[in-house]
Formats: sequence, C-alpha cells, structure tokens
Amino acid sequence: MIRINKKNLLEFITGYSFILPGIILILIFIAFPAIASILLSFTKWKGYGDFNFVGLKNFIKMFTADRFFYVALKNSIIFSVFTTIGTVGIGFILAVIIDLKVKFWKFYRFIYFLPVVVSVIPLALLWVRMFDPYGLINNILGKMNLEQLQRVWLGEPDIAFFIIIIVTIWQYSGFPMIFFLAGMQNINEEIYEAARIDGASTIQRIFRITVPLLRNVFSIIIMLQLIFSFKVFDIVWAMTQGGPAGSTEVLGTHLYQVAFRQMQFGYGSVVAVIMFLVSIIFAIVYIRVSGYRKTFFEI
Amino acid sequence: MMTINRKKSNGIFSKSILQIILIMWAFIQIGPFLWLFYSSFKTSVDIKTNPLGFPKSFYLGNYDFPLFRETSGIDISIYFKNSLIVTLISLIILTAVSLLAGYATAKIRFPGKNIFIFFLIALLGIPVHSLIIPLYYLIGKMGLLSNYFGLVFPYVAFNFAFSTLLAQTYFRQFPDEIIDAAKIDGCGQLRLFFSVVMPISLGAVATILVINYINIWNEFLFSLVIMRNNVAKTLPVGLMSFRGERTVDWGPMFAVISISILPSVLFYLIFSRNLIKGMTAGAIKG
Repeated sequence: MIRINKKNLLEFITGYSFILPGIILILIFIAFPAIASILLSFTKWKGYGDFNFVGLKNFIKMFTADRFFYVALKNSIIFSVFTTIGTVGIGFILAVIIDLKVKFWKFYRFIYFLPVVVSVIPLALLWVRMFDPYGLINNILGKMNLEQLQRVWLGEPDIAFFIIIIVTIWQYSGFPMIFFLAGMQNINEEIYEAARIDGASTIQRIFRITVPLLRNVFSIIIMLQLIFSFKVFDIVWAMTQGGPAGSTEVLGTHLYQVAFRQMQFGYGSVVAVIMFLVSIIFAIVYIRVSGYRKTFFEI
Repeated sequence: MMTINRKKSNGIFSKSILQIILIMWAFIQIGPFLWLFYSSFKTSVDIKTNPLGFPKSFYLGNYDFPLFRETSGIDISIYFKNSLIVTLISLIILTAVSLLAGYATAKIRFPGKNIFIFFLIALLGIPVHSLIIPLYYLIGKMGLLSNYFGLVFPYVAFNFAFSTLLAQTYFRQFPDEIIDAAKIDGCGQLRLFFSVVMPISLGAVATILVINYINIWNEFLFSLVIMRNNVAKTLPVGLMSFRGERTVDWGPMFAVISISILPSVLFYLIFSRNLIKGMTAGAIKG
C-alpha cells in the first residue's frame, strides 16, 4: 500500500490524469457497448423505436429454428481450425528454414511477411478475379489442356469455402513465422552444437530441441490465431458475402446480415454474445499460456 | 561476436533444395502482387483474352482516374482522402493518449495502477466485432454516423490497450536517473514528459504508429457500418463497389487495387523492422 501525503498526492493526480483520457474512451466505446450488447440480446429491436423485452426468446430461436446459425457456427469453427493449422504449420516450417541463415534469408523473411500488412479487401478482390470463370486460374488450366478442371470456383459451396481458407493461409502464414523466428533467437546455440556433436540429424534437432523449447511460442501463436480467425468477417464478405446460398456464412457475416440487412438488432446481438463468450474463453486461455503476466506484470 | 554456423545443413537439407523451396514460396507469396501490378498496365480486353501475359504495350489509361470517375461513377480519390484523414486523426490521438498512459503505468506511482494494468490486459481479449450493434446505436445517437469522428473514437478505444502496454514496456527501460535529475531541477511531470521523455522515445512512437497504421488503415467492418454515406466511405469499404461482377472494367480495377495497397507496401518497406519487433514484443518474453 502506498501512503498518501501532500508530497505524493500531486504525483497521484498526475498519474490519474495521464490515464484518464484512455479510461473515458474505453468506458464509452467498449464497456458500455459490451453491457448493452448483452442487454440487447434479450430484446426485440428494429434499430429504432422501443426495445421490447422478450426474455430468452432470441436464444431459443437461434438454437432451434435458425438453420444459418448452425452453418455459420460450423464454418467459423472449421475456418479457425484449418487456418490456424495452416498458418502455424507453414509459418513454423518457413521459420526453421530461414533460421538456418541460408543465403538471402532477410529477403525471404521480408517477402513472406508482406501480405500480412496489406488490407484484406483489395487482396480478396484480386483473388475473386483470379477465380473468376474468365480469370487467371481457369485460363491457366485451359492452356494446360485441363479443361475438365475448370469451374465457377466461388459458385460451388464446398470449393468456395475451401478457397477462402487457402487465401487466408496464403495471406497470414508470415505472421506466426516472425513469432517463431523471434523465439528461435532465444535458443542457445550451444544446445545445437552439442546435439550435432552427438550426431543428431537436422530433423531430430528440430523435433527434439526446437519444438520443445518453443512450446510457449506455439501456445501463444495458436491462441492468437484462433482468436483472430474466429471473428472472421472481411475476407468472407469480400469474396462471397456468405454465398452461394448461405454456404460460406460465418458468425461474423451472419451477425451483419441479421442486424444490418434484416434490421433485427436484438436477434443479431445473440450472435454477438455467442462470439463474445467464445472469444473470451480463448482469451482467458491465451492470457494464461502467454507471458503477459510476466512481461507486463512484474511491477 | 563469435559466429558459429550452428545448424550447418546436411543430408536432405542441402542448401540448394532449401533455396528452391524458399524461392517457390516467395513466388507464391509475391506472385499475385506482381500479376496485379503488371496487369494494371494492360487494357481490359488484353487482361481478359490473355490474363497471364505481360503487357504488350505499356498502357497507362487504367490510371486515368478522372476518366474512370466519369465512366463508372466511382470516385476513388474521395475514399482515399477519407481513409487518410481517419487514419491520421486516429493515430495522433491514439499515440498521445497511449504514450501518456504508458508513461504513467511505467514511471508514476499511484494507487490502483495494478488494477488498471490488469484491466488493459483483459481488454486485449475483448472481441470488438461483437460490439458493433450497440456501437452503431451509440454513434448514431451522438450524430456521428458518416462522420470521421464516428470512426476515430472507436479506433482509438480499440487500440488503446495494446498501444499502452507496448509504450509501458518501452518506458520501463527508460533510465530513472534522467527523470530524477529533471525533477530535482524543478521540472513538473507534464513538462518532464513532453520535454525530456518524449524526444528520446521516438522508437516507441514509431512502433506504435506503424502497428496501428496497419490496423486502422485496413479496418473494414466498423467502417462499413458507420460510414454509410457514399462520400464518407473509407478505402476498403469503397473498394467493395468493385465486387459487382461485370460492372467495372478489369483494367481500371487493377489500377485502383494497385494504388490502394501501395501505401501499406511503402510503409512496410520503410518500417518493417519496427513492425516486426513491435508485433512480437509483448508476446514472446517470459
């Protein structure tokens, strides 16, 4: 406990005034909406006029009568799991190779991270043109005399969602890569030296030394990727808008459709609350496995 | 410093095979960008009939944006301007508030500080997407729909926790001696912050700016909901007008996409070190 006296009272006031602007913004634009979101999920509200309290009706409707909710939930889970496996897997392989300090490694690292910093929307529009019936992919297939493989890529339910996942992995595998590279810098060179003297092969060294020592980084990046991907909206909206026939709907797009297209704000809030709860569970796990306690917390 | 060539390649991991893998992946990552860029110098007909080929002649017509505005009704410069203004105002406010808070949590003693820090860490896990409905209502009540500040305030609030924690880790390494010396000279906290701490904290400023630039410039959902009016749309939202299957010629569209990703690519060229460092900073230690 810090004792309050005249001398440090001024310091306290300075401290509070330095954090005050941030606190005000958070209260208005995060805390209030978070509470309001939960309250709204128990109401029927069209975006204007009265809020009609309807109890658990929205939740019951969602779980019993909303076919698209289940499609969206299933797709969000599939999307999170596969993009996480894809980006973390590829990111790790790239990091291992780059960490061998082969020629031009800095150049490769630079290139692999580039798509991460670019906005999803223009890139998604670019990919839409590639997978267009008259686009690049079909054209190349035609030139290779593989006409039987040509198709309306984004018009077929299973293929469309698969493409969204592939494009996401393409864009974001550089993100786990830099985390792994940062982690690998902390591994003591001598451990590798000792292993080599003992005659361990490269593969053995990767699985016996690198992977176990990077366990923390693995858990952090897996949790981060799950949190990011579970709230996916942009790429789905830009590439398919949830179509064809609602087959690529995810929770994010379902929320947008229900609230801002059908103007059912109370019902839409149920989707929001469910997204909220799932992400909070991820986040709690994340905070537990990550070093945040140690890095930001040792005061 | 001694450099040990630690993991000298052996067996199947021969150097040339690794290079081939790396080059192939580099091509996969950068190929779509190259295709986009050189295609933007082809006529729309040329793109459609021969999508893969290089431009036969260096056609600049796609970059004639005034002409494009007349033929398609889409004015890309407005979206560009909106994105620029929103990003700029957000970054200025965000940097100011998060540096102040980061400094306070690192160097000033006050009761309740630990609670505040815990609160910030908890905020990192809040999925802001799920706040969109009440925020739309709130911004509407404030009369800020289609207004720059309708986006600026949420953006600052959403990115505040991460930026503050980043600033805090930075200021923590700041030597106390300098601060104490200034205090003995009778320097007040606010003046101390602006005239002593800030000038030597440009590294923290750069990192915070770069990471948040990426987040804010690319943000889509909130902009889609809040900037309803066509003249208020930011770049990612404005670009969505190109989704309409055959409404826009491919040539001008490729030019517009190229132009819209150019600022981020340039930014990355200049600041890639700050960016990579800042992104991995908090999460890796420990």
